[in-house]
Parts: sequence; C-alpha cells; structure tokens
Amino acid sequence: MGLGAYLRNIKDAVVTIADGLAVTASHMIRKPYTVEYPDRLPDGVRVQDRLPFRYRGILEVDLEICTACLACERACPIDCIVIDATKDKAAGGLVMTRFDIDMAKCMYCGLCSEPCPTGAIHHTPEFEGADYSLESLVRRFVKAPVVAYKPKKTGEVDPAVKPILDRGLRYVSEFAKSEAGDEA
Amino acid sequence: MSLTGFEVEVQREVNGALATEDMTLSMGPQHPSTHGVLRFVVRADGEVMKEAIPDIGYLHRSIEKIAEKVGWHGFIPYTDRVDYVAAMFCNHGWAMAVEKLAGIEVPRRAEYCRVIADELCRIHSHLLSVGSMAMDIGAFTPFTHAIREREYLNDLFEELCGARLTFHYMRIGGVGWDLPPGWTEKVLRFLDRFEPIIEEYDRLISYNKIYAERLAGVAVITAEEAVDYNLVGPNLRGSGVRYDVRRDEPYSVYPELEFDVPVGRGEMGTVGDCFDRYIVRMREMQQSCRILRQCLARLPEGPVIAKVPRNLKPPAGDCYVRLESARGDMGWYVVSDGTAFPYRCKIRTGSFAAISIVPKVSRNLMIADLIAVIASLDLVAPEIDR
Amino acid sequence: MQAFVDGLIAGGAVPASVPAWLAYLGAMLAFGGVVVFGFVLPVAGITTWVERRIMGRMQSRIGPNRTGPIGFLQWLADGIKNVLKEDIVPTAADAPLFKLAPYVVMTGFVGTFAALPFSSALIVADLNVGILYVTAVTALVVVGILMAGWASNNKWSLLGGVRSAAQIVSYEIPAGLSIFPIVLLTGSLSMQAIIARQGWAPWQWNLFENPFTFVAFFVFFVSALAEGNRTPFDLPEAESELVAGFATEYSGMRNLLFFMAEWGNLYVIGAIATTLFLGGWRIPWALEDAPVLRAALELATFFVKAYVVGVLLPIWLRWTLPRIRVDQMMTMCWKYLVPVAFADLLGAAGWMVAFPAGVPAVRAALAALAGGFVVLFLWRVRFHIRNARLTRRDLSFNPLSTARVPG
Repeated sequence: MGLGAYLRNIKDAVVTIADGLAVTASHMIRKPYTVEYPDRLPDGVRVQDRLPFRYRGILEVDLEICTACLACERACPIDCIVIDATKDKAAGGLVMTRFDIDMAKCMYCGLCSEPCPTGAIHHTPEFEGADYSLESLVRRFVKAPVVAYKPKKTGEVDPAVKPILDRGLRYVSEFAKSEAGDEA
Repeated sequence: MSLTGFEVEVQREVNGALATEDMTLSMGPQHPSTHGVLRFVVRADGEVMKEAIPDIGYLHRSIEKIAEKVGWHGFIPYTDRVDYVAAMFCNHGWAMAVEKLAGIEVPRRAEYCRVIADELCRIHSHLLSVGSMAMDIGAFTPFTHAIREREYLNDLFEELCGARLTFHYMRIGGVGWDLPPGWTEKVLRFLDRFEPIIEEYDRLISYNKIYAERLAGVAVITAEEAVDYNLVGPNLRGSGVRYDVRRDEPYSVYPELEFDVPVGRGEMGTVGDCFDRYIVRMREMQQSCRILRQCLARLPEGPVIAKVPRNLKPPAGDCYVRLESARGDMGWYVVSDGTAFPYRCKIRTGSFAAISIVPKVSRNLMIADLIAVIASLDLVAPEIDR
Repeated sequence: MQAFVDGLIAGGAVPASVPAWLAYLGAMLAFGGVVVFGFVLPVAGITTWVERRIMGRMQSRIGPNRTGPIGFLQWLADGIKNVLKEDIVPTAADAPLFKLAPYVVMTGFVGTFAALPFSSALIVADLNVGILYVTAVTALVVVGILMAGWASNNKWSLLGGVRSAAQIVSYEIPAGLSIFPIVLLTGSLSMQAIIARQGWAPWQWNLFENPFTFVAFFVFFVSALAEGNRTPFDLPEAESELVAGFATEYSGMRNLLFFMAEWGNLYVIGAIATTLFLGGWRIPWALEDAPVLRAALELATFFVKAYVVGVLLPIWLRWTLPRIRVDQMMTMCWKYLVPVAFADLLGAAGWMVAFPAGVPAVRAALAALAGGFVVLFLWRVRFHIRNARLTRRDLSFNPLSTARVPG
C-alpha cells in the first residue's frame, strides 16, 4: 500500500467518523419519539381512542343485532367461534344459547367481521387482553338465551337498536365492495 | 454433532509442530444476531471458519399444509405469516395465484392499491434489514433510527388495514379496504420526510469507514455463482445481475411505472460483496419512494375488488406466479382440484436459496464475518422454514 | 499517605500498642474501601445512568425515566437487583478461577486510583514513576479477562477472552509510546510534575504544545479506548456475536463487577488523558490562603475534564460507530498506530532539541485550529438538522426533556 493510500485511509476514517458523530450529536437536540404508555400519557388521552377505526383489536359481538346466520363461524379459519342457535317458533325465530369466541386462538384476521350482514361481530381498538389464565380468554357473549335479530321487512329499526346497527353497518361498509354489489 | 456428520480433525503431531483441533461451535437457535431462529454449526480454527453449516427447521409451522385445510379465502391471513417482515407480498402472491387459476380480473384501482401497499412494505422490510445489519456489525443507533421510521409506516398500515404486522390487506380479486380518506396525503408527507432521512442514514453508517471495511470484499458472490445458487432479489442484484421480476416479468401495473433497478457496482470493494447487497437495499428504498409518488399521482377511481364468490371453486389445474418481494423473486405454485380447498400450495422464497450459499461463501471467513454475511443476505427464518 | 498515618500515630489517634505495619494496613484498607465504595461505585453507577440517557436521546428515545425522578435511581436498582441474584457457577467451569476473575479485573483498575492526582493536595501517593505505575496496573485486566474467558468453559467466552488478551496487550504499545512525548517534555514520570508544567488556559496545555503532542493525544485516546474494551473495539464483549463475550456465564454481582470495571476504567482513561494533555487540575487562581476552596475547585476541574474526555466522548463514540473486526483491529494497531506513535516520538524529541522553550505561535495556532474544528463540527450538526427538514418544534435542547415530537 503506497503512502498516498495509507494517508487516504486515515483521512477517510476521520472524515466519516466525524460526520457520523455530527449526526448523532444532532439527534441529541431532537425531541424523542417515545410515547410514554400507559401511565404518562397526557390527561384524558386513551391510546385506544386514538387508534384508527379499522384497527383489528379484540373481537366484540353486539348481540342486539346478531342475526345468528353463522357466517362468522363458517368464515373463521381457526374455528375459534362457536355458536349454538336453534329454531324456536314460540320465541319467533332463532334463539342463541352460546356464542363463544376463543381469543387465545384468534389471529385477529378479520375474516369473521367481513361477511357479517349487520356488523354485529367487529374488532374493537382494545388490545390489552393479557390475563392470568387461558380459560379467561374465551369470551362468552351469551349470558342468557337471546333471540336473534331479525331486520323488519318494512325497513324501520327499533330506536334502541338503531345506534348499534348504524355503527355495525358503518364498520361493514369500510370493507371493499365489488362493482356488482355485495360479495355472494 | 452427528446430524451434520463431519468429523473433527484430530492431529496429535504434524511434523513436530503443535497438535491443534478445530473448534466446533454452535451458533445456536438462540442468538442475538441470527435473524430469527436459525442455527449454524461452525467448525473453526480459532477465529477462521472452515465450515458453517446451516441447520433450519426451527420455525417450521406447516403453513403449506394448513392451506389445504382452511380454503382459498381463509389462507390469506396465513400468508402474512410466511414472511412476516414483508407480509403484503405474500398476500399478493397468493391472491395472484388464485386469480390466475380462477380467471378473475382485478380492477385497476385495486392493482394500484396493491402496488402502493407492496412498495410501502418493501420500504418497511428493507428498513428492518439495513437496521439489523448495522446492529449486527455493532452500531446500535442506526437500528433504532430505522425502527423509528418504521413506526410511521406502521401507523400508515394501521389506518389502511387495521394491523401493523399481519396485514391481511389483499383479498382474492382485489384488496380488502379502499384507501381511507386523507391517507394519500399522509403517505406523501411520509415520503417527504423519509427521503432526506435515507441520506442521513447514509451519512451516519453506510459510508462510515469502519462499516465499509467490515463489509467490503467480504463474501464475494460472483454473478455466475449467484445465478447457480438461485439467489434472487437484492442478493442477486448485489452481484451485478440486473434482474428484477417487476421489470423482466412484469405483473400488476408495473409496466406503467418508471423506476431504476439498482445493482451492486463494487463501490467500496468487489462487486458482489456484502457492502453491495447492503447498498442495493438502500437504493431500492429510494426507488420505492419514486414508485409510490407515481402511483399516488395516477390512482384511478373505481371499485377495489372484483366479484368473487365466497364459496370459490377454481377449476382443476395448477399455476405458478412470481413477484418481486423484498427478499427477491417469490414464487407461488398452487394446485387446485376443483374443490373449495387447495390441493397443494408450494412457496418458493428467496431466503431459502440464500441460506444454501452460506456454507460455500463462509469458508475462510472469520466468525465476525459470518454475522455480516447472514445479515447481508437478509435471511429471515420464517421464510426459510414456513 | 504514610506521613498522614505517622501523624495520626504521633498525635495519639492510633494507640501506641498497635504496630506500625498494622496501622498502615488498616489505613490502606480503609482508604481502599472509601475509594471503592465512596467514589468508584457511585461514579461507575451514575455513569451507567448518564450513558443510558445520552444513548436514548441519540436514538430518538428517552432513556430510563421511571425509577426515581428522571430515572436517576436506575443504577441503584440495577445494583441491588444484581446483588440479590442467584450466584451461578457453571458445573464444568473452573470454579476458583471463575470466581477470582472479576476481582483481578477490579484490582487492575482500582489500583490506579492510588496515583491519580485529583488536586494539588489530594493525591494518595505522588509516585515519582506515577504514569508508569498507572500504565502497568491497568494491564492487569488482561489476566482477569483471560481467566474469565477460560474458566467459563464456554467456547464463546473463550473467544472473547482470547480476543481481549490480543487487543489489550497490543494496544499497550501505542498507549505507552504516546505517553513518551509528554514525559520527554516534562522530564519526569511523576503525575504532579506533568501537571505542574502545564497551565490553566487551553493554550498552556500539553495538548497544544507542539503538533506532535497534539497527535499523541489522539493516538493515546484511541489506544485507551481499545484497552477499555469500548466500541469500536468492543470485540471481547461483542453483543451481537458472542452474547456477552467473556462475561457470558457470569450473573449477578460478578457480572456487575465486570461492568463496573469497564465504566470505572473509562473514568481512569479520562483522568490520565487529563493529567497528560489537558492541564489536570490547574485553575487560574493561586488561592494560597483558602486550601479547602482551592482543593474543591481543583477537584471539580479535574473531575469535569476527566469526565468529558473519558466518559462522555467514549459514550458518544460507542453509540455512533460499528465494531471493528479482530484482524482489522490488529492491523490498525500495528500498521497505523504504532508507526504513527514512533514517528510522533521522534518528532517530539526533535522539536524539543530545535525549540527547547517551545514556540508560543505554534501553541496559539494549534489552539485556534482545535477551535476551528469545533466550529466546523457545530456547523455540520446544523447542516444535518436542516437537511432532515426539522423545525423548531422538533428540537429540544433540554437533555432531560421527554416532550414528544408532535404528530
């Protein structure tokens, strides 16, 4: 190695190292990017409220608008949704006795929420689901047998149910729709 | 060590000189710098390696077999997990394969959305790759800067599809969600912010003398070797072979887009060394920014998904599609037997080929160089093992 | 120190029945305890906190900020946690050597404190071979690291230990050679004599005395970094490759001893550099009649200089630069640092023959050159901030700030 190359090595080393030091020094006076979660957020801020509407967190089922069509159960690739629904003429339709979602198996893919006609099953912005036992991760939505929702033929909606239905339909409307309308 | 089957040379005396033994090290599945769960059995004479044999399978999850159980639509979330660092490409590959089998045409807007998601994911993956590489070489700060930039991308993806890692964005026939209102402005703002940061990154680490010396001339892979060993993506382009699936076998809307294909030119050492593979990834990120700007400018209106029956039954047959993932040419071979469940799905990934060149290339390198080689080949264990 | 103890005996503080050697021994142990527990541990501990906070800001994040008001008690918490951990000695490890190794390393660096000049009066032993003693004692860490690497019965630790031995032994040469110009200049190996020759003002420091001492400072600094196992020379404990190198098998207090030795060693490097090149404890005022104030000011000056050069600068380098490979490290030592150090020594000797009293113009010029480098550097920092299109909103000059980047 000639003297020129030798000195050039030294010069390159010094110049590039000094430039790197300048970059890190410039970072010393920049503000950090850390969000101090969870106990030092600004007052009244909940990260869950700031997440986008499409965020796929823990699943929630609004039984008021669930039609017991079992589309979500069929769509789930991991079979983590278990619904028991029987026809009950007396109650006037389908009666659900069980709606369990095993969140330990759930992979938060959203395949269940896509085919839901009313948006009853949807993802929430909740992500803090850690608990001490595996059994507690099974979300049992049906406490007492409940009659499935049946949209009225006239198109009018019970005012108690309307806000839930609106939110559910808004959730479902976010999904892509083909030109010909709803997917089969 | 029986599964690797090599014997340790035991010499008691060689011509009156001291008897030496080779050291067999296990760069085990738990190691700070093997990318994912990989294992290398290294036979070394002190610092200099004689052989480095990879041992894979620690992350095998039978994803290809699962495809046969969950059906055409249900498999898309699983494709996210094939290469979770660059999940959009896997979604895209599966969707392309099934669309080809079933003869489904994807709307124009959906194709643009797919390319936008793909290129954002490419930046996402390359940031992790260059960051990890810097960290393995010893510079911890560039890694955190890369992760910081990835956070912006994570936020963008979160708005788009609801998840930060396992996107499940694409569907058969299009994409799952249209771009949310205001999202394109956010992407443009991110690009405006990101392009100078790449330059800053270059100044911090890429041309740093110590970094360049660590990588220049190490593990040179010639163009012939690269083609022989089936390397793809930045590994192949780092050796000077200008092959990019987006240019040479274009799919989606790439024929309409203008971009360069960076190749390694041996700027710091020889063509095909670790530095070239690293710098190709840096330049590819800049090209991705260029592609993104073009896509956002030309985004057409229209539906983002075609009409696809939920109970999809593509006609019997097979097809092979390939696309340019962050790690190179990713191939999807899918066989259908006419039912609602795939008959067979085989995924060909770039990392699997790349790990096969490690034994050849690591002869007479030092153990520290093995780390550099693994990092420069951008091996990710989930892709190797599936 | 001996005079001090003799004074205590004569004054009756120590009973006459106690033999002299016992009194000396007691004084040494007491002093050792004070130095280690009162100075070294807190300084090493607080240095970890400083390092983690500075590292955090360089990486666009906050460092520890939960334990204590600004995370200040983090080091205390880490220390207590380590003491309470299980003491694991691997079954196949060489137990006596394994257990002894951290103490050898600690001895190697705590021993130097006996000769460090903290102020004109605060020096334990003003040896007339002061700097030679310090250099010799710091070399003891090689033994400790080799012991740790070998006794761990772990191939990765062995690699780390062997690399470290090669590194420290090799870099002793340029470190020693770069000290010689200063010794020639002073005419003595005594630490206080070296400081006495310098003045308080920057242009009176040995650093700017002549171009050869200027270069000698950088050679010394790089060699000392290598001896202290700091990045870019941290191969023995390369985290990405060897997990923790020679200290892989160590847990709990033994591990903590290694790390304290590393951070404390940084301070010693700074102290030596300050003594040799940066004017030591010299202050502008004589303050003959206020010995306590004088001692305090001198101590503060010495501490600040040693800390900036010995701790803050290596922290900055560590979090910027990648790691050098073993063979490149050896190349750098033997092909770059040693020839430069030799040439430097010859040049310094020649300069002293040519200009026995030094050249004030050269001193001023070198000081101005250094000032120019600093200005150039700050301008480059400004360039980086503008290039990243950062606005006033994104900047915070408060090092303890946790205000986030908005949006």
